[in-house]
Amino acid sequence: MKTAKTIVLVAVMLLAGFMGVWKLQHALDKQRAALSEDRDEVLLSSPKLMKAVSLEYAPLMADFYWTRVVQFYGNKHVRGDANLEQLWPLLDITTTLDSNLIVAYRFGAIFLSQRAPGGAGRPDLAVRLIERGIKANPDCWRLYEDLGFIYYMDLKDYKKASEAFLEGSKNPKALIWMKVMAAKIAAEGESYETSFFLWNDVYRNTSDPQIKENAKAHLQLLRAREDSRQLDLLGGEYEKRFGHRPRRVSELVDAGMLQAIAVDPLGYPYTFDENGNAALNPKSPLLEKQKFFERFK
Amino acid sequence: MKRAGVVALNTFREAVRDRVLYNLLFFALVMMAASIIAGQISIGIEQTVIVTLGLSAISLIGLLISVFIGVGLVSKEMDKRTLYAVLAKPVRRWEFLLGKFGGLVLTLAVNVTAMAVGLFLALLYVKPALERGDATVLIAVYFIWLKLALVVALALLFSCFTTPLLAILFTAGIYIVGLYVQELRNMPIEVMSRGMTLFTKWLSYLLPNFENFNIMAMAAHSRQVSGALIVQNTLYAAIYSAIVLTAAVVVFSRRNLK
Repeated sequence: MKTAKTIVLVAVMLLAGFMGVWKLQHALDKQRAALSEDRDEVLLSSPKLMKAVSLEYAPLMADFYWTRVVQFYGNKHVRGDANLEQLWPLLDITTTLDSNLIVAYRFGAIFLSQRAPGGAGRPDLAVRLIERGIKANPDCWRLYEDLGFIYYMDLKDYKKASEAFLEGSKNPKALIWMKVMAAKIAAEGESYETSFFLWNDVYRNTSDPQIKENAKAHLQLLRAREDSRQLDLLGGEYEKRFGHRPRRVSELVDAGMLQAIAVDPLGYPYTFDENGNAALNPKSPLLEKQKFFERFK
Repeated sequence: MKRAGVVALNTFREAVRDRVLYNLLFFALVMMAASIIAGQISIGIEQTVIVTLGLSAISLIGLLISVFIGVGLVSKEMDKRTLYAVLAKPVRRWEFLLGKFGGLVLTLAVNVTAMAVGLFLALLYVKPALERGDATVLIAVYFIWLKLALVVALALLFSCFTTPLLAILFTAGIYIVGLYVQELRNMPIEVMSRGMTLFTKWLSYLLPNFENFNIMAMAAHSRQVSGALIVQNTLYAAIYSAIVLTAAVVVFSRRNLK
């Protein structure tokens, strides 16, 4: 009887103890959550030291660091946190540990160059990363494509973009369009076709869902922008004919200038604003995306 | 030489009896977990992770076996006094040492081969078919085995004249220093005297260069390895192991076993 009492007492004490620990851990988690926001993701900030202490396992450490980059970027993205200051040191260490890890240069440059909150908004660092990648892997023509992409999309430096595509096209393994891109950008600068082609290439070649989603949004907005431009041209024609800008797209259809009501990539009909300029439908989710990207321009 | 072979075979049997090959189960679990997790938490490095993790595990497990069992090859026989029974038979001391070395190197060969098979199975899980570039992984495994043979020779040498604990420390120490030999050779001349520069350079060639055997990054990215490197590394490991084993034989032959 006494033994049974002891067992119950011990069990109750253990239960109470674990409940206390459980409550305490919750309190600790709250305290630590605040700390983790500012926690330093990079314990060893010297890539060379990191390589030295990794002994012969540097390539494996590079894989771990790359996974940390992906997790760091993913977590920040999910939380909508635009502070990506730790991204460059993490990528710096990753590519020092394994200078042949092409994926770290390619995706890392996208993470760095994209405007916040999609990326760190540091195309200068993205260029540095890609140039380092080219130095270590001169045979990888895709890195030249990425360099050209950053110069074209983010830095709007069309001369350097064209040079990057041209340099990459000299690689015998490079696809023929690299040379076409070089010539097209050199001649036209920014154009719908070029932008569409480049974003489409990102969309088709990435396995990361976030980057794919981002590329898809850019492609949809590019198409909407081009559609709006075409509608504005028709609006000009309409104005010449009727003396005023169209108020609705249906007026263009009624005038026989358009076969059917033009819709955006999500299927919402375009509208004309009070100034008579073509615009996205206020109900279209693309409008939110457009505002979102323009906010960080 | 035949007697050395008998000792080697018995050393191998003893290792199997001591469940040394149980580590293969651990390796299999690591590879399975890596194959499944890598694709989920990272981007574009499924194959790289499998190769680097697999080769690191082969190297690490092999090193633990080489150092700990290598040091115990002689000391355990002395502690259990089974060495006297062996040496009472027509077995020379050098034959005994060579047999012990051969036995553990054979154990490591079986171990490393089994782990390599596991590594390739994991690779086949993440990619539809093996490519020509994947042959570099096999060469990397072979280089790890060469490195482990050299570590066993060093462990044997140290265990011939000191306690097991010190022998473990010496072997591990030489191994770690051996990974930095290249840095030792490339030390900036301006910060050192001419004498010191000559000494470090001399030392860097004297110490075993374990970095020679490290082609993990090349294997991870399916880069081709030249045939000359394979031949040179094989010769390096063979000659260096022969030197270390000769030293071990000299020490062991002069040791008073009474």
